[in-house]
Amino acid sequence: MRQLFDVLVIGGGVVGSAIARELARYELSIGVLEKNLDVCDETSGRNSGVVHGGFAYDTGSWKAKLCLQGNRLMGDLSAELGFDFLRCGKVLVGNTDAEYAQLERTLAQGRANGVQGLEMVDEKRLHELVPAVIGKFAMYSPNSGIVDPFGLTIALAENAAMNGVVYFFDREVEDIRRVDGIYELVTNDETYRCRWVVNAAGLGCGKVSDMLGITGYKVIGSKGDYIILDKRTGPLLPMPAYPVPSNTYMGIHVTNTTDGNVIVGPTAEATGNFAYYGVYQKNIDYLAESGSRLWPHIRKQDYIRTYCGILPKWVDEKGVIQDFKMEIKDDIAPNAVNLVGIESPGLTASVPIARHVIDMMREREPFKPNVAFNPRRKGLVRFSRLSPDEQAELVKENPDYGQIVCRCQNISKAEMLEAIHNPLGVKTMTGVKYRTRGMMGRCQGGYCQMRIAQLLEKELGLADTEVVYSRKGSNLFVGKVREDKA
Amino acid sequence: MMETHDVLIIGGGPAGLACAVELHKQGVTDMLVVEREAKLGGILRQCIHDGFGLTRFGESLSGPEYAGRFIEEIRKRHIPYVTDTTVLSVSPDRVVTTVSPSGMRFIKAKAVVFAMGCRERTRGSLAIAGERPSGVFTAGVAQSYINLYNKMVGKEVVILGSGDIGMIMARRLTLEGAHVQAVFEILPMPSGLPRNVHQCLEDYGIPLYLSHTITDINGASRLTGVTVSEVDGQLRPIPGTEKEYACDTLILSVGLIPENELTVDAGIPLDPKTRGADVDEYHQTEREGFFAAGNVLHVHDLVDFVSLEAEKTACSVAEYVAKGCLPICSVEVVPGQGVGHVVPQRVSGERDVTFSLRANRKLASCSLEVLQNGVAVMKRPLRNVVPAVMLEITVPKAKLSPSGIVEVRLV
Amino acid sequence: MTKTFTCIVCPNGCEIRVESEGGGISSIQGNLCPKGIAYVKQETLSPKRTFSTSVRVLGGELPLVSVRVVRPIPKERIFDAMAEVRKIVLAAPVKAGQVIIADILGLGADVIATKDVASAE
Repeated sequence: MRQLFDVLVIGGGVVGSAIARELARYELSIGVLEKNLDVCDETSGRNSGVVHGGFAYDTGSWKAKLCLQGNRLMGDLSAELGFDFLRCGKVLVGNTDAEYAQLERTLAQGRANGVQGLEMVDEKRLHELVPAVIGKFAMYSPNSGIVDPFGLTIALAENAAMNGVVYFFDREVEDIRRVDGIYELVTNDETYRCRWVVNAAGLGCGKVSDMLGITGYKVIGSKGDYIILDKRTGPLLPMPAYPVPSNTYMGIHVTNTTDGNVIVGPTAEATGNFAYYGVYQKNIDYLAESGSRLWPHIRKQDYIRTYCGILPKWVDEKGVIQDFKMEIKDDIAPNAVNLVGIESPGLTASVPIARHVIDMMREREPFKPNVAFNPRRKGLVRFSRLSPDEQAELVKENPDYGQIVCRCQNISKAEMLEAIHNPLGVKTMTGVKYRTRGMMGRCQGGYCQMRIAQLLEKELGLADTEVVYSRKGSNLFVGKVREDKA
Repeated sequence: MMETHDVLIIGGGPAGLACAVELHKQGVTDMLVVEREAKLGGILRQCIHDGFGLTRFGESLSGPEYAGRFIEEIRKRHIPYVTDTTVLSVSPDRVVTTVSPSGMRFIKAKAVVFAMGCRERTRGSLAIAGERPSGVFTAGVAQSYINLYNKMVGKEVVILGSGDIGMIMARRLTLEGAHVQAVFEILPMPSGLPRNVHQCLEDYGIPLYLSHTITDINGASRLTGVTVSEVDGQLRPIPGTEKEYACDTLILSVGLIPENELTVDAGIPLDPKTRGADVDEYHQTEREGFFAAGNVLHVHDLVDFVSLEAEKTACSVAEYVAKGCLPICSVEVVPGQGVGHVVPQRVSGERDVTFSLRANRKLASCSLEVLQNGVAVMKRPLRNVVPAVMLEITVPKAKLSPSGIVEVRLV
Repeated sequence: MTKTFTCIVCPNGCEIRVESEGGGISSIQGNLCPKGIAYVKQETLSPKRTFSTSVRVLGGELPLVSVRVVRPIPKERIFDAMAEVRKIVLAAPVKAGQVIIADILGLGADVIATKDVASAE
C-alpha cells in the first residue's frame, strides 16, 4: 500500500483542484483522486464559463458570499495563474413591467449581497452595451465576467502539481473505511490512505457523502445542453445577455467566450443519470428558438457543435434547491470535509470555497506554512495572439512555433508539445484540446486531429490503441492498417 | 523585411500546381507556391484510388500519380515553392504573411491566387443529437488515417452521406476488413457520381438507403450505435421510423465547404451559394489582383476540371501581371430555375465564356439555357442531370452583349 | 432479357442497357463512347475491377506507400489479391511506378507503387 497522505481530495475538478492548491500552501502531503483521465471532463469543463456577479443568490447564503469573493479575485488570479478572464459585464434583459419589477428585486438582492455597480439601464443604454440584443431595459452588472473554464481548472491543478500535489487519474473511489483514525479510500485500482479526506466529487458528492457515513443528502442532476456558435458571431455579443432570471434557474442565455465564440444555453432538466451527456434534438431546436428571441443571430450555418453539462444540486424533500453544504461532521466522519451541492456559482467561487475548506480544517489542526509555495503559473504562450514581430522572434528562438498544427486557429506545434508534456501527465486528445484550444475551430479537428494523435503517440510512446479521445475506452483506432511484419 | 513576387499562389494542391505550371508556360517566372503540408499534392496525397486523369491524360491514375505529373513539371521548370509553410494572413493590398519553422515571411505580390481547397462539414455543425464519443470521423479524416498514418479506424461501420468521399471510404474500409453495414443519404438521390454507387457500394453489397438520416448517436466513450430515421419531402425525420444500428464507427460524408478564411481576411466577398469568392470570367475576385481556382472557388467532382480551371485562371493572372489590370466585367450572372449556383458570377459579355454550374435537383431530361435580358441566347438539351455532376456550357461572345443580366437555368 | 449497367470507365457513368437473347448480346444502348461497349461486354462475360490499397514501408518518411493494380482483374479475386498485397513489407526508398507484385495471382496485372517514399532522415 502507498504512503499515508496528509490529505486526499476526491475529485480533481475546479473545486478539488482549488482546494489542493490552497492546501499546498502548507506543509502537507496532498493527493487528488480523479475518476477521469483529466481534470475538466465533468462539470468543471461543461458550463457557461461565466464569472457571476453574486446578485442571483439569497442574501446571506454561501453562494452569495463566496461568489462575490470569487468574482473580486478573478482578475488577479488570472494574472497569477495564466488563464483567460474577461470582466466584460453582463445584462439581464427584460421587456414587461413584471420583468422590470423582478429585475429591481434582483438588483436590491445584489446590493444587499454587496455587489458593486449594479444599475438598471434603459433601452438606449442597453443597446449601447449590446447593440444586437432585443429588449426594452436591463439590469447591468459591470463586474460580471467570463472565464475559460478549462484554463482555470487546469491552471489550478497544474499549479497544485507544481507545488507538490500528486494527481492520480482513472481512480474512482468505491468505498471509504476508517481504520485506527486513518481513512482508507478503496478505488477501482489501489487503496489510498490519508489522515484527511475532502469530498470534492461534484456529481459524485452524494455517493461519497454516503461512503463517509454522512447519509441523507438528496442530490439531483440538472442537465443543461448548449450550442456553440462560430467566432464570426462573437463581435455581436460583447457580454453575456440573459433573460430575466429566478433564484433557481438562469434561463436560456447567450454568452460570449474568452475565445470569441458564442454559447447558447443551457437548457435545464432534472436527471438522475449522471453518466449521460447526450444532447437532445428537441433541446437544440429549443435553444435556437428561445435564444433567438433575445439575440436573433443564431443560425445553423454558424453552429460549431453542441455539448452538455450536469450540475449537482442538493435539494430538500420538497425539491427546493439548497445552498452550498460545506461541513466537517466531527462525530460521524472526523477529519472529512464534506462538500455537497457545489453547483453554479461553483466555478466563480472555487477559490473562496477552497479557502473556507482550509479554514475549517485549520480550526481542528495547525498547518505549517510551506515557504516554498509558488502561487504563480505561466500559461501557454499563444502564438496566434502575438504581433507579427513577436511571432517572428519566437519562431527564431524555437522553430516549432513556426509549424502550424491547428490551422483554424493558428496553433503551433510548440504549443501542442507543451500541452502534451503537461505537469499532470494527462495523455488524451482532449487534454491537448483543453490546453491549447486546438480542435475547437470550424473544422473541429478535421485538419489537426491526425497531427495531434501522431504527436501524442510519438512524444508519450503510446501504442495506436492507447490514443484516446477523452475518457477511458474512447480509443481513436482499433490497430494498424499494415503491421511491420506480414 | 518585405519580399516581392509577381504571383503568390496559396496552396500546392491540384489547383495551385496546375496554375503554377501554366503561369510558367505563359512566361511568368517570379512566383511562389506556398504549401502548408510537408509535401506538395494537397488532398490528392491521400486519394489513393484511381479514376483521376481520365480526360486529361487518358489514363485512370491514383491521386498521388496525378499530382506527381504536375509536381514533376514544377521540378523540371524550377518553379519556386515552399512547404511546411502556413499563410497566417492576407491583407487587402496583397501582403501575405507566412510562417514556417524557418521563420516568418512578408510577401507583397502583384497577384494572389487562392487555391486552398476545402474542408469537410462536421458532425458538430450539423448538430446531430446524442453523445459525442470517439469513433465518429469525417470521411477525409478517416481516409487520411488509413492511407497516410497507417491507422485502422474501426470494425463495424455506418456511413452518413453518399458523397463521393463517403462511397470511396465504404470500399476502402471494406477492402481493409471492416464491415460497412450501410450508407445513409438524406436526399432522395445519391450525392456522388453514379459510377461510385456502382463500384463502391453495389460491388461490395453495401446497401444504400436514400431519404434516411442519423438522428441520434450513442456511446459514452467509443461509439456503440446510431439511430437512423427516414425523412420526408422536407428532409425532416419521420417519427416512428427509427432503427438502431450497433456500430463502433460512424463516417460522415456530409459536404465540403470551400476554405475561404484567408479570402475573407483580405476583405473579399463570397457568394453564399458557392461559399467561394464571387469571381468574373477571369476568375478575378471583386478585389483587384486576387484570383481563385479549384475547390476554394466551388467544390468540384473531378480533379481534371480543377486543373483546367486553374490553367485558365493562370492565363488571366499572366495577363494581369503583364498589363496591371484586366477589363471590367459588369454583367451579373444569376442562377435561375433548377440551378444551385453558377461560376463565374460576372462576365464582360465581350469574350467567350464557360459557365460551370450545378443543378439543384434531379432532372431526367431538361434544357440547359443561358439567357440575357430575359431572352435565351443558348440552349442545350440534357439527360440524366443530377446535382452530383457539375455541368458546363460555353457561350461564344457573339451571343452575349456587354449589358443585361445573364441567367443560367435548367428547365 | 434487359440488364442495365452503370459504366465505371469514366466519370460520365453512362447507364447502358444491354439486351441479350439466348447466349448472346443483341443490342447495347446508352453509351457515349466505345469504351462503354467494351465495359458492358466484359461485365456480362466476367466482371473486372481495379483496386488500390497500401503497403507497409519500413524506414521511410511515410509508413505506407499507396499501390494500385495496373489493369482490372476478375472482380471475384479482389479479396485474394488484397491478401497477397498484405503479405508485402518494403524497405524505403520506394519509387512511384515501381512494380510491387508482378502478375498478381497470375491474372496478368502488376501492382505498382503510386507515390515515392524516400528514406527517413
